[in-house]
Amino acid sequence: MRRSARRARLGDTAIAALTVVALGSGVWLLGDAGTDTPPQPAAAEGRPDPGEERLTAPALAPSPPTRIRIPAIRVNAPLMGLSLTPSGSLDVPPAREKNLAGWYESGTMPGETGTAIVAGHVDNTEGPAVFYDLGALRRGARIEVDRRDGGVAVFTVDAVEVYAARDFPDDKVYGAAHRPELRVITCGGGYSKATGYQGNVVVFAHLTGSR
Amino acid sequence: MRRTARLLTGTALVVAAAAPAAAGGTGSLEVYPSTVAPGAQVSVNTAACGDKGSATGDAGAVGAGTFTLAPSSHEGEAIGQFQVPPSAQPGTYEIVAACAVGDRQVKGDLVVALGAAHEQVQPRGSVKTGVGGALGPGPVQTTAGVAALAVAAAGGTWLLHRRARGDGI
Repeated sequence: MRRSARRARLGDTAIAALTVVALGSGVWLLGDAGTDTPPQPAAAEGRPDPGEERLTAPALAPSPPTRIRIPAIRVNAPLMGLSLTPSGSLDVPPAREKNLAGWYESGTMPGETGTAIVAGHVDNTEGPAVFYDLGALRRGARIEVDRRDGGVAVFTVDAVEVYAARDFPDDKVYGAAHRPELRVITCGGGYSKATGYQGNVVVFAHLTGSR
Repeated sequence: MRRTARLLTGTALVVAAAAPAAAGGTGSLEVYPSTVAPGAQVSVNTAACGDKGSATGDAGAVGAGTFTLAPSSHEGEAIGQFQVPPSAQPGTYEIVAACAVGDRQVKGDLVVALGAAHEQVQPRGSVKTGVGGALGPGPVQTTAGVAALAVAAAGGTWLLHRRARGDGI
């Protein structure tokens, strides 16, 4: 009798402990402690390393891009054509498609001489999207763009930068280039509930090969 | 000063007239870039000739002659390229492609503008590519959190029940 009472007390203590632990982890999992921010580039990724500057491959004939692949951050997404919004900023793909990026159709095609522009979401209301890890990309990483003509344009990352929206360096990001270059853009910088992301992560790359 | 120079061959007229009858197929002739400077290279593609279908292109309107559209690895579309002559005048030109098999013909417009390559409109400002949805707990985390709270609720209920019965703590 006494023994079973002790055993019951032991069981109660275990259940009480379990209840406390479950309550604590539930609150922690649903609360703020579990929040994650998309990776942001380190300052060092913004400085081109002259020793690592790779030779530029000859420009390719114009052919629209169909897909972008960035193996280092496991990106493999189709590309849609993008135009400009009435305010003159680059439009974006529909947010509900989380694995879809876009390219600026009225600009340079990736592989041609000039600055080709690709943009995609860092997240949508459901969670991370196609370019969530873009800020984690390092100098020297490879970016591949499949083209409509069946070829692949291979770019090498020169720099990864983050710019505030209120002071966005248009010419540096979108300006003309004398060699085949690529920009890959997503949201980044700080985040506030009222205004959303405060800037963009921009990857600078140039053509180093094709196949 | 924009001069519109459309060149419709006799065949093109016949096909255009017959087009409604053949309007089951899909696709047109896509021209990239659609606006170019004289001397630029242009790429055209079409899905109208079916899987692995080739075609003959005619850029005679802009003075570039005929060219071949070969099937590509991209969804079996036929793709071809030609160079706009450096002497081409500004204007809108019609580029035509005729499928090698069947009598299907597709057309697309090419605009030649002086200095077009330098007049590309650049986007301005930042890009709206996120809403912060990745910042809260994700679906897996939410499910785990709810499950943990459910366990806590069950444990709490059981303990209260025991106490109420008087044989507990």
